Amino acid sequence: MTATAPPAEAVEASAESAPRSGLRPWLSRHPLAAYALRRFGLYLIELWGALTVAFFFFRMIPGDPIQTLIQTLQQNYVYNQQASAEVIARYQHEFGLDGNIFTQYLKYMNNLILHGDLGPSLINYPTPAQNVILHSLPWTIGLLGISAVLAWVLGIIVGAVAGWRRGKAGSAIITNLSIALSHVPFFFVALILVYVFAYSLGMLPARSAYDSNISPGLSPAFIGSVLKYGLLPGLSIVVIGAFGWILSTRMLMVPVLGEDYLTYAEAKGLKPWRILTRYALRNCYLPQVTAFGISLGFIFNGNVLVEQLFNYPGLGTTLVTAIQQLDFNTILGVTDMAIFSVLTAVLLLDLLLPLLDPRVKYWK
Amino acid sequence: MRLLTAVLRTVRDSRRLATGLVILALMVLLAAFSPLIVHSIGNGNDPIALAAYQKWLVPSSDHLLGTDQFGRDVLAMVVSAMSVSLQIGAIAGVISTVVGVIVAFVAGYKGGWVDGVLSTFTGILLVIPTFPLLIALSAYAKNVSLFQVGVMISIFSWPFAAKTIRSQVLSLRSRPYVDLARVSKARDLEIIGTELLPNLLPFIGVGFASSALGAIFGLVGLEVIGLGPGGVIDLGQIIFNAINTGALTLGAWPMFVVPIVLLTLLFAALNMVNIGLEEVYNPRLRGVAGE
Repeated sequence: MTATAPPAEAVEASAESAPRSGLRPWLSRHPLAAYALRRFGLYLIELWGALTVAFFFFRMIPGDPIQTLIQTLQQNYVYNQQASAEVIARYQHEFGLDGNIFTQYLKYMNNLILHGDLGPSLINYPTPAQNVILHSLPWTIGLLGISAVLAWVLGIIVGAVAGWRRGKAGSAIITNLSIALSHVPFFFVALILVYVFAYSLGMLPARSAYDSNISPGLSPAFIGSVLKYGLLPGLSIVVIGAFGWILSTRMLMVPVLGEDYLTYAEAKGLKPWRILTRYALRNCYLPQVTAFGISLGFIFNGNVLVEQLFNYPGLGTTLVTAIQQLDFNTILGVTDMAIFSVLTAVLLLDLLLPLLDPRVKYWK
Repeated sequence: MRLLTAVLRTVRDSRRLATGLVILALMVLLAAFSPLIVHSIGNGNDPIALAAYQKWLVPSSDHLLGTDQFGRDVLAMVVSAMSVSLQIGAIAGVISTVVGVIVAFVAGYKGGWVDGVLSTFTGILLVIPTFPLLIALSAYAKNVSLFQVGVMISIFSWPFAAKTIRSQVLSLRSRPYVDLARVSKARDLEIIGTELLPNLLPFIGVGFASSALGAIFGLVGLEVIGLGPGGVIDLGQIIFNAINTGALTLGAWPMFVVPIVLLTLLFAALNMVNIGLEEVYNPRLRGVAGE
């Protein structure tokens, strides 16, 4: 370690080397465009890096998916003799498991990026993995998406009121309750709810996503059934999720409550509600929308535990089944989708923020 | 010495932080004495041995929380399981905090391309969903021990700690007193140890508490799917047993309610530590501004 002082401003490790002919002067005149370009370059690097790490990580797991598949086929009496080497080779080729790991990697990335193809899935051979994922996607988006929106709206409203009326008894109770419960896993609440409503009171169903006696379709009976079956898992997510938003809203709002412009607004005789929404909450809107966008990106992870508990046919359940059967293509597909959605959500927000918020600086 | 006074001052200043630490300390004590407690419940026998008692006994003065499907005393199980959960939190918390702090200091203090590479790598790890990776690891790593699971969980939880601390290092690095130390020919390590570390303690604390929280829940999650490490019983496994043996329908509520209440208390305490620390370094959050 030397005692040389690092330069005052960190040199940006620029993601793409711009050619010298004319682009550089133009970029220095347009800091916003330069920022957008650099940010997009970083996005591509992170996307590629995350997909690559995920690919190699799952390939490193010991286990032979082809053997698993053949065993499954044998168990189902579809195939009652020892598999020949040709059959195994044929399957390996089909699942993209032939050749060394680098050729596999190149082939996988090529199929993924150029054709959006993940290869066949093992759990539902020969259906392509992307179809298996698409099949469970609506359930996850419906359950988690609607719950996330409800939790967010509820959290902002309650959090704003709790921050505004700080020092009052009710506000202190809500704040402390949020601090205590905002990090409790959804799953615990789900379990308690199941115990109370499904077993003790027998009021609500505890498993699956709809009544199997009703055929899926756009009939009122089916939609009612979906809502009824989604109530318990949804409720557990809304309750705990809301506590988190209450806390962050309050934290964003409390620091500005002593500001002069609020005193001035009060002195002008504005109504408290107007002061709250137009002045005090001004600081929360943007960060909360940002945070919400990012949390929506995480929805695609599926909430594995809640979905498992309720046997909900979403991404989380699909993922667990796929892992148990070594279905590489499906596992990677779900993981890749989660990576893509989170990174893209963050990218869009990073690009939009400087346009919306004058305080955000987009140059270093 | 300066570190110690900084810590003490921090705790004294925040009631929330103190509350969280007291709850944590009580739980750690309970975990430390768990062998003794288990021993006294068993009266010389092992209350967690299979068929130690009759199965599915309801809570009574003999068995405060009843027994499970194998006739094991639930109270004894819960007490020893809690120490397992705390251990995993401590293991993963320490590992990811140490790695996170090192990465953050190198990145934030050196700046330049080193920072660029490290930050990009941290960003990459942050967006990979950890739970599937964890499931995959534990499902196929043969006979994982508790310590190994702790290491696995820390692989994925250090980036968060690193990110939190790095942004603080960046803002502290340009403060006048650091420049002064640099001008007076203090060595890099000396500056980090005497000037930066004391000011970063709250953030390091937040990093530790978050990692510990994530690790404890990670293990619970694995157990609930039935993929935990073999040979140890943690709180998640008791919950998993309760679900699978139909304890919910049998009315054996202590079997899943007590672990959940304990874990909730643990999460609440860790979160109080987090929020308390945040209020310490950002006094305006205490809601006393302009009062």
